[in-house]
Amino acid sequence: MAIKIPKDREVPFGAITPAPIKQQELFKTSNWRIVRPVIDHERCTRCFTCYASCPDSCWSYNENEEQMEWNWMFCKGCQICINECPSDALTAVPELDFPDGVARLEKPF
Amino acid sequence: MAQEKMLSGCAAAAQGAKFAEIEVTASFPIRPYTAIMMELARMVANGELDCEFIHGEGEHAQVSIVLGASACGARAYTGSSGVGVTYAFEMYSPVAGGRYPLQMAIADRTLDPPGDFGSEHTDAMSCRDQGWLMGWAASPQEVFDNTLINYRVGEDPLVMLPQFVCQDGYFLSHIPDKVILPELSQVREFLPPYKAPHPLSPACPVSHGPQIRPDQGAPMDAQRAMTFLDVPKVIERAVADYNAIFKRNLDPWLEKYQMEDAEVAFFIQGAHANTCKSAIRRLRAQGLKAGMVRPRWLRPWPTEQIAEALAKTKAVATVETSTSYGGATRGGNLIHEVSATLYDLEKRPLLTSFMAGLGGDVILLEDFYYMAKILKQMVEEKKTRQKVYWVGFEEEA
Repeated sequence: MAIKIPKDREVPFGAITPAPIKQQELFKTSNWRIVRPVIDHERCTRCFTCYASCPDSCWSYNENEEQMEWNWMFCKGCQICINECPSDALTAVPELDFPDGVARLEKPF
Repeated sequence: MAQEKMLSGCAAAAQGAKFAEIEVTASFPIRPYTAIMMELARMVANGELDCEFIHGEGEHAQVSIVLGASACGARAYTGSSGVGVTYAFEMYSPVAGGRYPLQMAIADRTLDPPGDFGSEHTDAMSCRDQGWLMGWAASPQEVFDNTLINYRVGEDPLVMLPQFVCQDGYFLSHIPDKVILPELSQVREFLPPYKAPHPLSPACPVSHGPQIRPDQGAPMDAQRAMTFLDVPKVIERAVADYNAIFKRNLDPWLEKYQMEDAEVAFFIQGAHANTCKSAIRRLRAQGLKAGMVRPRWLRPWPTEQIAEALAKTKAVATVETSTSYGGATRGGNLIHEVSATLYDLEKRPLLTSFMAGLGGDVILLEDFYYMAKILKQMVEEKKTRQKVYWVGFEEEA
């Protein structure tokens, strides 16, 4: 008996992957997002409310750029950050408005 | 110096865990397993065993706790019985899928109803398709051996799978027999410390058990199936090392009793095999060439070894100590596997099954004589009248 798995379909051992503390290819779970939070860096006060309110830790602070960074491969589009943002810096924009929106993916998964 | 002690199956399991130097154990009382956790609690309390002892709030929590411990790189140990085994069911697939080589002792108990203290294998048999290694012991010594061998096989980098180490409740779990306790240095030679390949650690954050994408499901199943192709050679190597280090003579796969010239054979799992062997000695004295095959592993199933062991017999009976209501034979589980094992033989023996040892019942010598009578009748008539007999409940033909 011989089982052969094509290279491109191999799964990491035990499905163990590096943690999504930063965006990473092995951890794409954003496929069912309908809207995404779009940030207006001018309005953002770096208060970290989005960072604290995200249940999936999809916001981080980019120290070089001195601005918030969104993990688009991991964000499910729950909109909690948008609701919590005290300075209205976040807007919910439909995925269909983006050429690379997840709703447009040829292979959604 | 190795010591010889009188230990029950539960005490032998706890000793096995102690010699394996387990680092975390999670417990929740349910008899007959309770005797294992009591023994471990005693060892931790008096300083014999340096191990984190955690009380779960139930069996589901127990297995979740050891999953977490194993994910952090600890050698983890837990156990249960009967409905406790089924209460934790949800966790079995994640533990195997996440490749955590923790160990769970199962001292079988009948499921509700009647929930009897005595053994029936249905509790553990229900878990056989969850990707764990699994097998039954037939003596406290074998419980001890299996505890160490299972850790060694499960933690092998080629394998990395959890293990159910099963023993019959009461018949084995609570009846003492001689167990040789080796030197710790020997055990350390046989079983090196566990090293997790990707432990949870703040130094190198990893995600365990994430939701994988739907298109990854099938390849992951295939990868797990591939792992099971490697398991047999790891088991054979581990048992060879075990025999060499502890000066033992274990067969990696089967216990064969009087099979050299056997015309009829019992295929039986667990501690009822001891009664079966007594019955065989008496049956042989009366001129029936009977033998017994007892598998030491249920997963992986030793297909070739069983086929070879049974190939020369004329009639085989599986003694079913578990139920599969409405299954192919309307009886137990073992006959399904044994049928598949024997199907491709050029000359296959006649095959039937006996439902016995259910609901915590003992299987008496008389029951084995009854089974032998049917086997003899099958050989004489050259046919199988029934695929299943409910021992003690059949109308006389």
